[in-house]
Amino acid sequence: MYADLLHALPNVFAFANFAAVIIGVIAGIVVGAMPGLSATMAISVLVPFTFGLEPLVALGLMAGIYNGAMYGGAIPAVLLRIPGTPAAVATTFDGYPMAQKGKGGLALQVAVVSSSLGGIASAFALMLLAPPLSKVTLLFGPSEVFWVAVFGLASIIFLLGGNPVKGLISACFGVFVSVVGSDPIYGNDRFTFGQLEMLDGIHIVILLVGLYALPPVIDLLETPLKTGVNSSNLGTEPIWKALPRMKYWKTWIRGSLIGIWIGILPGAGGSMAAFMSYNEARRSSKTPDTWGEGEPEGVAAAEVANNADTASALIPALTLGIPGTAVAAVMLGGLLVHGLQPGPMLFRENPDVVFGFMWQFLFGAILLVLLGGSLATNSFARLLNLPRPLLGSVIIVLMLIGVYSIHGRMFDVYLMLGFGAIGWVMDKLKFPLPPVVLGLILGGFAEENLRLALRIGRGDPAVLFQNTTSLILVALTIAVIVGPSLKKRFLDGRKTAE
Amino acid sequence: MLNIFKKAAIAGALTLAAGAAMAQGYPEKPIEVIVGYSAGGGTDVMARTTMPFIEKYLGDGASIVVKNMPGASGQIGITEVAGSDPDGYTLGTFNLPGMMARTLDREAGYDRDSFTYLANVVNDPNVIVSAKGSGIESMDDLVAAAKEAPFAVTVGMSSLGGDDHFLLIKLQKMTETDFTIVPFKGSAPARTAVMGGHVAVGIFNVSEIAKFQGELNVLGVAQPERSDFAPEVPTFAEQGFDLVNGSMRGVVAPAGLPEDVAAKLRDAFEKAAQDPEFLEAMAATANPVSVVTGDEFRALTDGLYDLAEETWNTTPWN
Repeated sequence: MYADLLHALPNVFAFANFAAVIIGVIAGIVVGAMPGLSATMAISVLVPFTFGLEPLVALGLMAGIYNGAMYGGAIPAVLLRIPGTPAAVATTFDGYPMAQKGKGGLALQVAVVSSSLGGIASAFALMLLAPPLSKVTLLFGPSEVFWVAVFGLASIIFLLGGNPVKGLISACFGVFVSVVGSDPIYGNDRFTFGQLEMLDGIHIVILLVGLYALPPVIDLLETPLKTGVNSSNLGTEPIWKALPRMKYWKTWIRGSLIGIWIGILPGAGGSMAAFMSYNEARRSSKTPDTWGEGEPEGVAAAEVANNADTASALIPALTLGIPGTAVAAVMLGGLLVHGLQPGPMLFRENPDVVFGFMWQFLFGAILLVLLGGSLATNSFARLLNLPRPLLGSVIIVLMLIGVYSIHGRMFDVYLMLGFGAIGWVMDKLKFPLPPVVLGLILGGFAEENLRLALRIGRGDPAVLFQNTTSLILVALTIAVIVGPSLKKRFLDGRKTAE
Repeated sequence: MLNIFKKAAIAGALTLAAGAAMAQGYPEKPIEVIVGYSAGGGTDVMARTTMPFIEKYLGDGASIVVKNMPGASGQIGITEVAGSDPDGYTLGTFNLPGMMARTLDREAGYDRDSFTYLANVVNDPNVIVSAKGSGIESMDDLVAAAKEAPFAVTVGMSSLGGDDHFLLIKLQKMTETDFTIVPFKGSAPARTAVMGGHVAVGIFNVSEIAKFQGELNVLGVAQPERSDFAPEVPTFAEQGFDLVNGSMRGVVAPAGLPEDVAAKLRDAFEKAAQDPEFLEAMAATANPVSVVTGDEFRALTDGLYDLAEETWNTTPWN
């Protein structure tokens, strides 16, 4: 296998194949940076065009876009508190406060370096460990996946931010939105009001754009007219000067492992990886109180993890045909177009293309530092100098285009505007928005897998506790729920003892 | 009253005249093929792999554009096709038995008569598989296990009301057994659940497990002859079970397509079916080809509709 890996390398450097990766990375950053346009969308638009291309050119473009977009999403997340992709939600936590303190340039540099490292770690996992890691995926049946989703929801409610009750309410709203559409087992319509457009449920990008992009834009337009959002310096300095000061090795390694791990599990994807990594990094930080107020390490934690799930999400996709993320699902289609059918035979039948594709992932991640570093800090960041009304209206136009282009219908745009109104109210009432997004992503998974598990157990809930993997996840979930209050009690006790 | 008939007759005559005039020059502009699923899905790949060959055999620089209108398991796309002008410039992909089953289990904006049937292209027969080392290695093992403990054997499949489900219902009736159905969302998670031992067996289409034959026992294939995708696997008939079932994908036009345009299109599909290059491209993209055109395709649809209706009436799936 490793011989095949090396054998595939030279072809990756063929001009067209390498150029495809470069173009892909740049396109990915641009797409990721636009609120409403996501990697999934960019790749699905691309797939039809790749029919006529050589396999490695097509796959190189996809690998580049995937890597680029996962970082690109950080740019508006940092500068405007608008996550460009669902995976960049956690990047807003510390990235935006940094930008407000005039350290937006540094935040972007931390983001690009972390993204790139995460991508590199993930590419190595894909190249070297795909077969053993796909065995891990097989351990996760419906009851285990259900617990993963519950664990994810519990983490987001109890670990992020101060008020678990508000978090719970937000998460419930997200889970409620996930219920809309045809139910996962029988296909009965729920809350669709007879609209065929609602039958597939609410697309995550519609919710994300509405909740996250509209309120900041309204804020942007509410504040009195000035020259720009941040006419002062972004605090940019050349990346090679900033680089030696980034010492987040622990966070990077932890975030990479979390990202790779989440990536090989079906469903959750980059957004959950970023949250988990952020949580864990904050918990082990010596100064957890500074998090959320502009801690560069928070940006590093989120960005390393959301790129670390990119290539690893392809492990179950390539070996088992189950995509770990929505993007991986679209990429599977792109592979099939070129006669690459997923499965254990794939690596034996088309080693040059498959391993070439993995190399392209690696180079895409490396190129990210070079291309992303200069592109983001030199051009995108200057967006902030635009006058507010102009910036606000440009973003609104992008949002409308992005949401319309998901299925090509106005219905989705109206939905998005509705969610925008809800998001604006929630924002004013200080309800956290991330649990809504995760609630929508994980709620559907939790429901579907719970119902499948119960069918397998023929209605007996004992099926949910029948094996070690499930029990470990249950224990983790309990720890997440009671952990913080226990810790608080422990600290209070110590204080009184003193 | 008479007036209406007169108008209808004139309209009919005009349509015929226009049709006759049209077929000579057809196609004069790009033909749009609506796919009710996203780009890169099985149906999309079928359409995109087939259409270059249809362009070739229509000749005269014919150009076909594939347009994805995903949503509601293909309903949005096919409803659009049913409501389009039957001028030969809007065609659509058509999945069986799904498209017919959806007219039963929900209110659909079309029925069997909404279409001009051009050609079925793909016929992907069902298979039943179990995990290696699961103890179920033949159809006899499976039936014995189900008889021993009714509902104890779990069967993973991609959805309810699809071809997988219909095969199981046929099997249950035939052998007087009962299984517990576990409908995953799509075939890949179901297949993974079989491999991981989370369900006992799974029902798929042969193309979906062709690349997994090292990891799975394939108990049988549901078509009269063995499949090229799994030549080692015996048919169900060879094992004494009269089971023929599968998933089909074809191309239809709105009802009322002028006969000569329909003939020209059907002819192009029949020619493509003989093209070795086409067959090779389809095999590479996991599409078992079985081209059936016109009335035969309509008869196929009717047969599957009747099966779905009967199943729906006796064992509704929602």
